[in-house]
Amino acid sequence: MKKVTYFPGCSAHGTSEEFDQTVKMVMKTLDVEMEEIPDWNCCGATSAHTMNESLAYALPLRNLVLAERLHNDTMTIPCASCYQRMKVTKAHMDEDPALAGRINSTIVGEGSYEGKVAVKSMLQYCYEDVGLDAIKAKVTSPISGMKLACYYGCLLTRPKAITQFDSPEYPMSMDHIVEALGAKATAFDFKTECCGASFSISDTDVVLQLSGKILEMAKESGAHAIVVACPLCQSNLDMRQPDIEKKYKIKYNLPVFYLTQLMAMAFGYPKDKMMFAKHIIPVDSALAHIGEVTEEPKPAKSKKAVKAESEAE
Amino acid sequence: MARVGVFVCFCGANIADFVDVKAVIEEAKTIKEVKYAIDYKYMCSDPGQQMIRDAIVQYRLTSIVVAACSPRMHEKTFRKALSDAGMNPYLLEVANIREHSSWVHQKDKKAATEKAGDLVRMAVAKSIANEQLHEISVPVTKRALVIGGGIAGIQAALDIADARIPVTLVERSPSIGGRMAQLDETFPTLDCSQCILTPKMVDVASHPYIELIPYSEVIELDGYVGNYKAKIRKKASYVNFKTCTGCGTCWQKCPVKVPNEFNCGIDNRKAIYTPFPQAVPNKPVIDAEHCTMLLKGKCGICAKFCEKGSIDFKMQDEVIEREIGAVVVATGYDLWDARPYEEYGVGRYKDIINSLEFERMVSANGPTGGVPVRPSDGKVPKTVVFIKCIGSRDEAKGIEYCSKICCMYTAKHAVLLHHKVHDSRAYIFYMDIRAAGKGYEEFVKRAQVETGAIYLRGRVSKIYQKGEKLMVRGEDAQLGQEVEVEADLVVLATAIIPYKSNPALARLLGISYDKYGYLSEAHPKLRPVETAKAGIFLAGCTQAPKDIPETVAQASACAAKVCGLFAGDTLKKDPMISTVNREFCSGCQNCVKVCPYQAIVTEDIPLGHGAKEMRTVAKINEGVCQGCGSCVAICRSMAISLAGFTDPQIINEIVAI
Repeated sequence: MKKVTYFPGCSAHGTSEEFDQTVKMVMKTLDVEMEEIPDWNCCGATSAHTMNESLAYALPLRNLVLAERLHNDTMTIPCASCYQRMKVTKAHMDEDPALAGRINSTIVGEGSYEGKVAVKSMLQYCYEDVGLDAIKAKVTSPISGMKLACYYGCLLTRPKAITQFDSPEYPMSMDHIVEALGAKATAFDFKTECCGASFSISDTDVVLQLSGKILEMAKESGAHAIVVACPLCQSNLDMRQPDIEKKYKIKYNLPVFYLTQLMAMAFGYPKDKMMFAKHIIPVDSALAHIGEVTEEPKPAKSKKAVKAESEAE
Repeated sequence: MARVGVFVCFCGANIADFVDVKAVIEEAKTIKEVKYAIDYKYMCSDPGQQMIRDAIVQYRLTSIVVAACSPRMHEKTFRKALSDAGMNPYLLEVANIREHSSWVHQKDKKAATEKAGDLVRMAVAKSIANEQLHEISVPVTKRALVIGGGIAGIQAALDIADARIPVTLVERSPSIGGRMAQLDETFPTLDCSQCILTPKMVDVASHPYIELIPYSEVIELDGYVGNYKAKIRKKASYVNFKTCTGCGTCWQKCPVKVPNEFNCGIDNRKAIYTPFPQAVPNKPVIDAEHCTMLLKGKCGICAKFCEKGSIDFKMQDEVIEREIGAVVVATGYDLWDARPYEEYGVGRYKDIINSLEFERMVSANGPTGGVPVRPSDGKVPKTVVFIKCIGSRDEAKGIEYCSKICCMYTAKHAVLLHHKVHDSRAYIFYMDIRAAGKGYEEFVKRAQVETGAIYLRGRVSKIYQKGEKLMVRGEDAQLGQEVEVEADLVVLATAIIPYKSNPALARLLGISYDKYGYLSEAHPKLRPVETAKAGIFLAGCTQAPKDIPETVAQASACAAKVCGLFAGDTLKKDPMISTVNREFCSGCQNCVKVCPYQAIVTEDIPLGHGAKEMRTVAKINEGVCQGCGSCVAICRSMAISLAGFTDPQIINEIVAI
């Protein structure tokens, strides 16, 4: 059995409780024991690093130091924003020991940072450390028939130099995972576009505009639902969807799942464990597609190809 | 008693700002053999050289030390000054106080000055032991080898051959013509590329002084300037060119389809093919990687239909040798693969193409008959977005340099699009418009005014598909706005890169290349067509991105250099070569093994005066020896000495510091 350090972040204990719960279910099935960091603190999120550089480093650094005491070689984080802050801090501390020393001295009494623990998002951990084969092996009730637009948001794979994971512009790891669960990932161009993030609170209209575009493109791709691995993405796309529909006078009706909710379903957990009641957009319409047999039409030969062939004759 | 003159150069501010030149002079004057020491702003200038010439006569100097830039830069200049004053030129020593001191110690003037003083003292000490040396004459083979049959190679070959010097032109593909043959019309005059190129291609084939060897590659080059020996591998064409009439029956009957490289894979060619109808030589070759007969031993349809019996499946690669005196390298360029631009969906969307693909489409002899079409559905595009600087000037994803020609050909594409599809509209995203060249700026204006092409200054951040359209989202930096264009077709002006094989070729030829793989010229300003290796010259995009006029000018410059090299019957060669003292030579032959130029042979001489017994000693071939000194270092009995770098000279230098 694998062991991994778990940093839930504040959302997991609040708005994205269903993410937290399903992560735990999924990891149990995948034979991964999660050890939550005792006495973890806020990652600083967007507020700290726009106000004070030292604070922006110190908050995640304390978590990194606490994580080292657990002696697991990897820490996994469901929230994309927490992941980003932890990963950036780790990268900067590792490349600049003087900076690391300076910041470390501000978190008195917690021990010294050694840079021993790798930081991975939940998505990256599932994709790299668990692997597609292991995931596939645990699927008992495939979610085939569902067409899903995988939405990564802006932080899970960026910046490339720091995350060192998947593509910053057109990532495919989540697509591969949902296909391992039996679903079909659609060709979705807006998988790394900005959803508007925390403007949801300060300037909601920005989110309606940006998330609206994402919903539009997801619908265009033929998806029954959107899959995310970030609490804020989920909340913007799901919670703001009725406002977006109202503003643009269009009906999307696109449920927004956490990746782990779908994994848990495919692993055979009962539907009532997924906390679907917390979703604003009802998920039943999307789940109804499970079991549908979809046949892809064969792409017709393009005129040009035909012409080129006849010319070559 | 030696009488040494010391001349210290300011090199403008290059030396004088970081080295106290006066202090160096004062230090030189303390050496007892130094009879004259003076500084000057530019020692290499005519007044500077005159100072040296005058001092030689006036102070009866026996050797000269010039403390200035690297000897690679001006050693020749100063040697000539010595000659002009009636002094043996090899009595010169150059103390390199620029590259070796002022440039590298800019932050510490005191240390730089001390080091410059040391370098001068060493040079003075060495020069005292200098001997009079005389240039060696070596015979020259008056034949040039041109590698690459694009417009650069063609122009160089024709110019050299017109001077009645035989040329061997080696081309790796089945036809000469290169990239220019793929182009439709050329900027800024819009004259047809084929119309101006194909006559030159025919001239090459029919020129009495040009030997054209297509479908072959240079695999070895030995020797030295004036006396190179090249090995060329002729790839098996499986077609007897002597009997083949080029009738075309074979490729009409061949059942194997292969993506057509000449048309950027837009259509197919056959396994037996000529690259394009105007190919020179206009004879087909069989592509061994795709021919069913060669792969599986079945088919042979081409042989059945060939009336002349020209198909020979048993043909083998052949290696031929040519003795040549000079080489012109003109291997051309390739295009950067734009797939790292994932946000554009390169590789995912069929309707994103590169400029060369667009060029083939609008070309009258192209795969779509001169009309641009969307690869996805064959429809004629009405709105075309051109994006410049794809990979160029992009440190994050591509390369740092500017590919130079994209601004102009994109303007040309806007004009051509307008000519071919009258109701179309071109949108051009650009960073800067670089249109320096005769008639270039006017041409860009023409594209803007005449065709209504909309130039948008800004980068494209994303391309995504919406229905049949490609949505191109970018920035119009001049209006400070985000713009989105609904495009039918997107054309990427991808960066120019050197051929992947350039580094391997450079190593084979013994010349240098830069971090991108471009072959390096000897001096960026003053020796732009020569390489650091004598007798090897560069033309076209193998050295850096350039357009057709520039390429042709450089190719003609190469021809002038080759003709100059071949003007006399012999070449002068530096006398800095090794000699063997037979008295000391033990015949161990270690020197034979270490010589990188195969310049050392052995000979048998009598053991003693009038003795019958023989012993073996080393012998240096004067023409081949390059004076590298490897043999001197390996010689255990200290029998070999290198002129200009003798033991007394080196020991003097060491003692001086």
